Amino acid sequence: MDGQGKYLLNVENIAKDFGGLRAVNHASLHVKEGEIRGLIGPNASGKTTIINLITGIYTVTEGAIYFSGNRIDGLQPDVIASMGIMRTFQISRVFRDMTVLDNMMVPALSQGQTMLEAKTRAEELLEFALLAALKDEPAKSLSGGQNMLLQIVRGFMNKYLRLYVMDEPFAGVHQSIKGIILKAIKTMNREKGITFMIISHEMTTISNLCHQISVLHKGELISEGTMEEVANDPLVIDAYLGG
Amino acid sequence: MQSHMDSHKKFELARLNIHPFKLKFFGLSFLFLVIIILPFFISDYWIFVFTLAYYYTILAASWNLLGGYTGQFSLGHHTFALIGAYTSALMIIKAGIPLWTGILAGIILTIIISFVLGVICLRVRGLYLALITWAFAEVVRTYIRMGYEFTGGDRGLDAPLLFDTIQPLPYYYLFSGIAAVTITLIAGIMRSRIGYYFRATRNDEIAARAMGVNTVRWKVFAFMVASGLAGVAGAFYGHSIGLISPVLGEFNEMAMVIIFVVIGGLRTQAGPVLGAISIRYLMEVLREWSEIRIIILTAIVIIIMRFFNGGFMEFFKRGKQWVQQKEVREPVSAYEKIEQR
Repeated sequence: MDGQGKYLLNVENIAKDFGGLRAVNHASLHVKEGEIRGLIGPNASGKTTIINLITGIYTVTEGAIYFSGNRIDGLQPDVIASMGIMRTFQISRVFRDMTVLDNMMVPALSQGQTMLEAKTRAEELLEFALLAALKDEPAKSLSGGQNMLLQIVRGFMNKYLRLYVMDEPFAGVHQSIKGIILKAIKTMNREKGITFMIISHEMTTISNLCHQISVLHKGELISEGTMEEVANDPLVIDAYLGG
Repeated sequence: MQSHMDSHKKFELARLNIHPFKLKFFGLSFLFLVIIILPFFISDYWIFVFTLAYYYTILAASWNLLGGYTGQFSLGHHTFALIGAYTSALMIIKAGIPLWTGILAGIILTIIISFVLGVICLRVRGLYLALITWAFAEVVRTYIRMGYEFTGGDRGLDAPLLFDTIQPLPYYYLFSGIAAVTITLIAGIMRSRIGYYFRATRNDEIAARAMGVNTVRWKVFAFMVASGLAGVAGAFYGHSIGLISPVLGEFNEMAMVIIFVVIGGLRTQAGPVLGAISIRYLMEVLREWSEIRIIILTAIVIIIMRFFNGGFMEFFKRGKQWVQQKEVREPVSAYEKIEQR
């Protein structure tokens, strides 16, 4: 695979070292356009590091990452975002002192939308996420779940969005908010063709939501396939249950 | 629910039916009028005091753009005023260029230096940025003190007067005009898309980058605009008082600017104006009290920071909230709001 193939995202044999610690060890991922990909693995298996490498927060030690045929490793996060890759963080990173509406405006304005376009789109999305009533509240006044929801819908404000990478979007959120998040993912995938890569420890949710699942363990990709396939893979069983 | 409606009605009846925009317009018009007619009712000494207050308003408002809205805690802001003042005066005295060209040169050099410094140091933040900018400020001030033959050293430098008069009135209007333009410019920036980038960068730089904001570019831009405005203030300041010296570059100047912003209200548009004018005024009123005025000023700073750490603007905000809570609102948490839907 040379990165120019049929996949939207090609992660080619990447490695990431932090000093003497190898967090990701020659992992490869190939995600098709329109796919919802689950990324699972025990704690400290390198899932978040891979997301940070894809979105430019970290630079790769070895290997290459291609998005839509273009090499993106080494690019700055804002450049990667402008190419259509958005992300959420495991611990929600909203702009706390800004209002809910202003939070929504940032990714839209940074991609060149006018104030009016951005505001209209933001209000539509906030309505969809049942956050419209809170649009003038500072983000710091929201609950943890609402913060996560805001973080997720904020990413949809990027009009060039093609790949949305989510780090633990369901962790610690109320069932009703989880329902809104799931609806948002399914709707955007179906109607806009947006590709998702989702890290989660919620196996049932991942199983119902994702077309394909990749399993990481100790920085290496150990299995890939449907939930049934990976769940029966001895390497995966060993990673989760082994010593 | 009924009581909420009743209190809402009560508020509707009680309040004046004035649109906030109109209120702001009338308020600003009144302020504008006061600034114009004030010199006719006060002595030349007080006209000079207010001219100085407007100079510090420009420095405070522009530092607020950088340290307040963008979160870049620079300790070298006063140095850009020093650079603007010395460049303009030196270009006129040594190179013999016309006065207005000298002022322009001072402003341009300030912007160029701020760009270079911005590119070098704005990848760091917090304490590290504060230390780098402080070190830069000390290097510039020390050079001016030591380069006696060129800069006049501690004795200072005679700068030609802008209006060929020592009467403070024309300088009063000049500085009030520059302060008004500065505040309008900053308000315009903060209402534009750039204002969103500044606020996002200050809140969470990593998240801002992930949302597509080129944070380094906008931090450098903020640094250049803020420093350029300080350069404008400095360039005109030298030609208003006729003598510039390295005292302008002392750390006290920087500390004073920060105090004006913090006392007035960090990250507010009116705060730095209120802070600079009121504290300068107070310092002059208390001048006869000699050293005791420092104790009084310090006590005021401590009291305001302890009880209103958002400065004067928080005082007004709390007053407004108190009136509204009293007459209209029952506490509604964000969670309750979503449940009500």
